[in-house]
Amino acid sequence: MTATTTLMETDLVQPETPSEPRARRRPLTGLVIGLLLLVVCVLMLSPVLWTAASVTKPTDVAFLNPPVFTYRPTFDAFVDLWQTTNFYKYLANTFVVAIISTILALVIGLPAAYALSRFPSWISVVLLILALVFRALPRFAVVLPMYDISRALGVYDTTYAVAVALVAINQPFSIWLLRNFFAEIPAQLDEAAMLDGCSRFQVLRRIMVPLMGPGIITAGIFVFLFAFQEYLTALILTDVNARTVPVFIATQLGQTLPMLQQAGAAAMLLTLPVFAFAFIAQRYLVAGLNAGSVKG
Amino acid sequence: MRKREFYALVAPSLLVMFGFLVLPLYRTVEWSLERVNYGEAGTFVGLANYQQALSDPRFGRAVLFTVGLTLAVTAVLVVGGYLLAVAVNGLGRWRPVVLGVLLVSYVVPQLVGATMFSWLFDENFGGVFNHLVSTLTGQEVLWYTDPWPNRLLIGLDLIWHLVPFSMLVLLAGLQGVSEEVIESAKIDGATTLQRHWHVIVPSLRGVLGFVSLISIMDVLRTFDALVPLSPQAPQIGNESIMLYIFNVAFRDGGQQLGVGSAINVLMILIIVVLLFPFIRNIAKEARSA
Repeated sequence: MTATTTLMETDLVQPETPSEPRARRRPLTGLVIGLLLLVVCVLMLSPVLWTAASVTKPTDVAFLNPPVFTYRPTFDAFVDLWQTTNFYKYLANTFVVAIISTILALVIGLPAAYALSRFPSWISVVLLILALVFRALPRFAVVLPMYDISRALGVYDTTYAVAVALVAINQPFSIWLLRNFFAEIPAQLDEAAMLDGCSRFQVLRRIMVPLMGPGIITAGIFVFLFAFQEYLTALILTDVNARTVPVFIATQLGQTLPMLQQAGAAAMLLTLPVFAFAFIAQRYLVAGLNAGSVKG
Repeated sequence: MRKREFYALVAPSLLVMFGFLVLPLYRTVEWSLERVNYGEAGTFVGLANYQQALSDPRFGRAVLFTVGLTLAVTAVLVVGGYLLAVAVNGLGRWRPVVLGVLLVSYVVPQLVGATMFSWLFDENFGGVFNHLVSTLTGQEVLWYTDPWPNRLLIGLDLIWHLVPFSMLVLLAGLQGVSEEVIESAKIDGATTLQRHWHVIVPSLRGVLGFVSLISIMDVLRTFDALVPLSPQAPQIGNESIMLYIFNVAFRDGGQQLGVGSAINVLMILIIVVLLFPFIRNIAKEARSA
């Protein structure tokens, strides 16, 4: 009995002794890094937190300087926003544009990226370099003419015109990202499937698309985000009907204080779903980027 | 893959890009040689627009401001993104939460984020940071009308908005660095700093290049952030190239669409020159593959 207890005690004590110096140093640096990260996180969130505080204040104390920290929260700004503006319409427009352009970008981009990863020739190289240049293009160089063209074609101020314009603008990025994911999948897989009687298109649909899960999710998240965030294209291609939330918020700036508070409320309503989105997306983004995009 | 299959697969994407990028781009080049209004046929004026743009001191200031901003912000993004990525990479249980929090500023639209950011410094909106700075230093900083404080404000906002992306990409890159190499450096007695400088950073060279490239492209086209953050940008010399084009070609009655287009073309040339090292890399890689 006593023998076993001493044996167990030494067993328990023994592994701790050698690791003790490391264990003593580690928690300290860990703690410092943890604290620094906490500060960074608070600073990164501060604009959102301050806006959240400002829009839940009654209008008469919201803009006091020096700022007030104790107040009775109210949701009047949100109610006003909903009742006096067409905010719900702008919110709907924002999501419609983002969803349409994400679906289109993937449907069009997947085959192109697949082809570019499997056809090693100068044409592919030229197309990829062109895509890189297009990605860096000053937005106005394509959007100003689009304004003119969309007016001439009668599609100015429609959500689908904005969505299609964004598909084109973001196409270079989605193609590059997806191509890098395809490049990770060995080409022997295609050959095996084709020996079994698949056509190219069937290989893409039946073999590649299931294997590309993480790649499609990563590219989808990015394309969705870009379309959701776009201000300039929406500003120039829309007037009232297809206006998106960023454009709406910009028009509220420099107006009266209640309108400014409404803009803040609009910003919060747009940020909350995005908040959830960030937490869901982070896992896929790290895994996805790790698997694909950053090998170059 | 046969040639026919290649073209069939690439065709939809090429059609979209031709119709919505190449065609408008052609129109821009055409406009840059004309005196033109929206919806009207222009008259050919040769290189007059280019001459006018290049001799406008406002354009020179915009270029200087944009390039300076790009260099400063990109440097901070690369270094800051790396440090953040290393810190986050060492986290255990808290990692998803911290990553989620850090990503918020990236997923909020830039214009909306900059608007919220401006309220931290706007005394008309009870700005806390502004208040904090004046209490601590006893000085009233004019964030919106003084050129340098305004530049700092713009830079801070861009870093706030863009650092999550560089952190994310570098974090993904860090996970690709082989454990054995780091472990053997540790056994050889390398300090943490040496390990980062001699082992991890060199093996992330490609990723760091990618981050710099994306940052340069993103900061060069700064526009959204300036709308709420620098309402007096043209007066205090904080007009970015994009904002300058917008003001010239769109806001001032569209009279100067030709000049705006000429600046667009000049901008494209600058970008191609900047991208040249990356273009050469792609070509080299493709030839060896």
